[in-house]
Amino acid sequence: MEDMLEDTVLVNLRINGRLHELEIPAHKSLLDLLREDLNLTGTHMGCMTGHCGACTVSIDGRVAKSCITLAATLGRAKITTIEGLTQDDGTLSALQQAFWDNAGFQCGYCAPGMLLCTVELLETNPDPSDADIDTALAGNLCRCTGYQSIRRAVKAAITTTKEGAPQAAE
Amino acid sequence: MGDQKPETEGYVGQSVRTIEGRAPIMGKATYTNDINFPGQLHAHILRSPHAAANIKSIDTSGAEKVAGVVRVVTGAQAAEYIDPIPHYIDPAVFGGRSATIRCLALDHVWCFGQPVAVVVAEDKRTARYAVSRIVVDYEVTTPVIDAEDALKDDSPMVVPGWDANMIMQIPFGGGDVAKAFSSADRVVKTDVKVHRFSTQPIETRTYNAVYEAGTESLTLYGTVQNPHPLRHVLSKILRMPENKIRVHAPVIGGAFGMKMHGHPEEGLVCFLSKLIGQPVQWVEDREECLLIGAREQVHSVELAVTKDGMILGLRDHYLANTGAPSSCPGWGMAMLTGLTMPGPYSVQNLDVQLSAVVTNKPGWNASRGYGKEVTALALELSVDNAARELGLDPVDMRIKNFIKKDQFPYDSPTGLIYDSGDYEGVMRKAMDIIGYEDWKKQQEEAREEGRYIGIGVGFELTPEGGTLPGTLVAGYDSSTVRVAPDGSVRILTGVTTPGSGNPTGIAQIVADELGVRLDTIEVVQGDTTTCPYGFGNSSGRSTIVGGGSAAKAAIEVREKIIKVAAALMEVGESSVTMKDGIIVSGDKTIGLEEVCYACYTRAYDVGSVIDPPLEATAMFKPGLVRHTPNEKGQINPYPSYSNAAYVAISEVDVNTGEVKLLKFSVAHDCGNVINPILVEGQACGAIMFGIGAAMAENITFDENGRQLTKNFMDYVMPRIGDVPPITLAHHDSPNPVNYKGLKGAGEAGVGGSAAAVVNSVNNALSPFGVMMTETPLTAPRVWSAIQEAKKAQPQRKVA
Amino acid sequence: MSLYPAFARPRDLGQAAEIMGSLSTGAMIIAGGQEVMPSVNYGALMPEVYIDVGQITALKGISEENGAIQIGSFTVHRDVQQSDVIQNNLPLLSYAAAQIGGGMQVHNRGTIGGNIVSMHPLYDILPSLLALGADVDILKDGEEQRMALADLMKDASHGLGSESLLVRVLLKPMTPDAGWAYEKLKITAGGYGSANAAAIVTLDSDKITSLRIIVGAVSALPVDISDALSDYRGQAWSEHLAEEIEAKASAAIKEPLSDHQGDGDWRRAMAGVMARRAIEAAVKRAG
Repeated sequence: MEDMLEDTVLVNLRINGRLHELEIPAHKSLLDLLREDLNLTGTHMGCMTGHCGACTVSIDGRVAKSCITLAATLGRAKITTIEGLTQDDGTLSALQQAFWDNAGFQCGYCAPGMLLCTVELLETNPDPSDADIDTALAGNLCRCTGYQSIRRAVKAAITTTKEGAPQAAE
Repeated sequence: MGDQKPETEGYVGQSVRTIEGRAPIMGKATYTNDINFPGQLHAHILRSPHAAANIKSIDTSGAEKVAGVVRVVTGAQAAEYIDPIPHYIDPAVFGGRSATIRCLALDHVWCFGQPVAVVVAEDKRTARYAVSRIVVDYEVTTPVIDAEDALKDDSPMVVPGWDANMIMQIPFGGGDVAKAFSSADRVVKTDVKVHRFSTQPIETRTYNAVYEAGTESLTLYGTVQNPHPLRHVLSKILRMPENKIRVHAPVIGGAFGMKMHGHPEEGLVCFLSKLIGQPVQWVEDREECLLIGAREQVHSVELAVTKDGMILGLRDHYLANTGAPSSCPGWGMAMLTGLTMPGPYSVQNLDVQLSAVVTNKPGWNASRGYGKEVTALALELSVDNAARELGLDPVDMRIKNFIKKDQFPYDSPTGLIYDSGDYEGVMRKAMDIIGYEDWKKQQEEAREEGRYIGIGVGFELTPEGGTLPGTLVAGYDSSTVRVAPDGSVRILTGVTTPGSGNPTGIAQIVADELGVRLDTIEVVQGDTTTCPYGFGNSSGRSTIVGGGSAAKAAIEVREKIIKVAAALMEVGESSVTMKDGIIVSGDKTIGLEEVCYACYTRAYDVGSVIDPPLEATAMFKPGLVRHTPNEKGQINPYPSYSNAAYVAISEVDVNTGEVKLLKFSVAHDCGNVINPILVEGQACGAIMFGIGAAMAENITFDENGRQLTKNFMDYVMPRIGDVPPITLAHHDSPNPVNYKGLKGAGEAGVGGSAAAVVNSVNNALSPFGVMMTETPLTAPRVWSAIQEAKKAQPQRKVA
Repeated sequence: MSLYPAFARPRDLGQAAEIMGSLSTGAMIIAGGQEVMPSVNYGALMPEVYIDVGQITALKGISEENGAIQIGSFTVHRDVQQSDVIQNNLPLLSYAAAQIGGGMQVHNRGTIGGNIVSMHPLYDILPSLLALGADVDILKDGEEQRMALADLMKDASHGLGSESLLVRVLLKPMTPDAGWAYEKLKITAGGYGSANAAAIVTLDSDKITSLRIIVGAVSALPVDISDALSDYRGQAWSEHLAEEIEAKASAAIKEPLSDHQGDGDWRRAMAGVMARRAIEAAVKRAG
């Protein structure tokens, strides 16, 4: 029995395309692993109870709150963080550009959740209604914008994606 | 919008995207919590579980035995090395009672959550665990929770040695109030109770202090709105000269007043780093963040009115439950509530009195609105109540009493001098853009179907750019504009940004004044070592004084560039123009870079007409402020009076008490608009605060003064589905004494929008005779009000 | 309590039973982590051993065989919402899973097992499962035991301890003619319910042939008020009946919760309103 207990856990994580083989302590949240061990500080700590969404990442194509995800349970997983949305040459994704052009954020602290949830929404539903957008972003708190510009940014990103070209918003 | 310069004249007035926004949207912005130094240590604080207690003893041995713990410090130990925290706004300056506030409690705790001891460890988890191993022997005493109770003769004292639980009482007003009340047709009394709520930025507070023993100097990286004033505070706590301290505020994840200083943790981490000789970081958790509240006030507003709705006089003796003493500037909010009475209304007979009460709740910190949001709530709920009592339309009654647009500058009875405004125009515009009359029809139709739609309005006067004499709340600020030999521009300014976009606004102003492209400008803020002395972010001031001072500096630098350009082109200075970095005289053109390079490299020939470098520092101090008291002893601490009207449309489910907001509008007068999309963002953010305040956000305590609100399950903030579509319009009457006519755009709206929500709910429930004037309007409370109204008026045919 | 917990990853139920049998109370089963981690983060919970059940295939997947539907306890809410088997046979459950708060992120990580065993009064799954008459398989003392979910809840009102492992939920398909509804009253768009009700009804023309209503989020555990409504079988549906059900549902809440969501009087009243709305919507669907 004792041989089934591990003091540290080996995980193989492909994060933003790069493979990391990591020996990690059992207690570590994915948030702390990303921020403290991998210097991926774009994923933010906001509440540590899973309510605010600032710590959002995507695990195997599905968004998750990294503060309430125990890293050791991940085994092998593909993870995308907010840093993974930008191309290697620094070009922003259409969604990031739409958020920037439309003032879809102010302080930027909630951006991980807003962006990654929208990515997943648009993958499964390319033409979402306002209600769909609200449902997809329900796990994220923003304290700056009053959400108006976030809805506008998501819609601008949809237009961009449809037209296949960057769309400047008014 | 985009990289291309818009087709119109200049950048000011254009919705350009933020120059500082690229890093955050990439996940590459550096917030304080992202900074990690070699040898980084982590602090965790033991906080009082009691609202009031004497500390008999503290046993730290259990914590010291935990592997990884570097140091455990109690209040008594800390007091040997550090001094109390100076007040941001010392009540003593205004003749009030001033308490001694320390980073760690000495022998007595006066609120739940007060820091008692601290553990520094190699990692944050160890520090947290070790804190649970500290044993404190408390002698629990009876706490004072309610402001009313605190003023009773037999109340225990919150601050040992005080003879009353009161920071101070302040009267505001003038005129002949007794006559106004005796000549009125009616006096309508409205009890408005505003609850304790909080700003809760998603980024909590974080401080990371690095002491360098070799130079005996200290750097604090922190979530700090006001770096230079904090440096002064730290120098006093740490017994160090200011020139050995650097305060650096990296990117901030929202502030809304909460990151104004006076917090015990600021000085504490600096002291710990100095004591241990390694960097020490403290990251506030959400439970700690929720300890910081504000705004809890009880008003009893009496309006002396004529039967056709003219307000002849106003009386309001109100209590503010400011919690335990704090060095943060929060308590001053209570003062501003009274000073801003009677808001937009032309009422000269005013008898307002603040009692700023201390209790054993945690203290306040500044919160968006800074007390003026409570003025708006108290006034706007009272006016609606009076209109209902008189059988008048609430909008008509407001318009009848608004200060008229030809009455500015207007002297308020509290000594303020309102710069400009068109309140009726603002009100009408907010109604027009939402289709006010159409909603009235929809309301009638809905009632036929047994649905209850409500239409509510709220007005908020928000004085901005505040400055208090004898404090480091200053009305002026300074900026440096530097143009490098390659023609690129760097602005260093004393104002800071919590994420609101003011660096872009300031850059737009400089781009126009200097005549360069926006994408050649960088803005540096939030660093006491690199930036000119300044007062940071507060009171909607950043674009007013940051922009104003940067504009003045830009004009100076531009003159130098033009002089050298004229020399290079061998033309007269007056013939030279510069725009978008292109310098023209007649048919001659020269590039900015060529001129700038010459300014730096040819100081003995063509460049000798100027003193290099291409750099200027300027100060901007808005007018209208009067710190010399008038004959009534009143001052005017504000240069600028932004204002806005809000209309909320709600629907109430009378079976559950749920309120759903259907639509919102705001018409906003913040003076000339530098960047419409950013101003809109500020207005919508403030409306969301107002909606949260009116409906759900609430900090509660048990009967022993222990805080019950611990996380975002308990503290319910609006999510995207809770905020209805908001329509915004500008209705600008530029400030005659400010640069570009600016009035400030960041702070306004919490109270006006909250009032609009409350008024809309009361309007929806008017068939029941419901009139709620206590916030928040949670579903249970709305439901109870309906039940009580049904009981009270069984004869009334409803639903 | 340990600062340096150990970690166990049983590969099958046998290993899980072995580990669980050998460890003291300091062990904590972890699946999606959504319930456990907030307490871990605030130091309120410091397990000595985390037992990660994510490798155990027996806990995963949704299947239908001979009119019996099995949902592995390690099935995330998102899969419960989107599974064809659930949507076709148990639309009530699929709908209720979509009403869980916390956003897409929680739907993607939170498991049906975690939602059940935490027995949190405000969570969304239990009322529907109780209305559907779910059974559960529990691994305890090295053996699997099958029991009605309702019976498990009588035993374990404070959650299932770490000496037991919920393996799967077993359900029978709803009859195609059954009307159903899940009504949830919540304070904000993302949040927790303040009262909820799950209802299933079958009608023969306008006469009620069966009726089940479970009311949740108003007391420590969901309350099954179906027995109190047994007299309505055979009666014709009417507005009057809805009013009576509202009154009976309220009356059934003996010890209402009083918390940040709202006080006891309101909760009791809302139990009635939700029950009424649920049955009205269910009847509409059936009709």
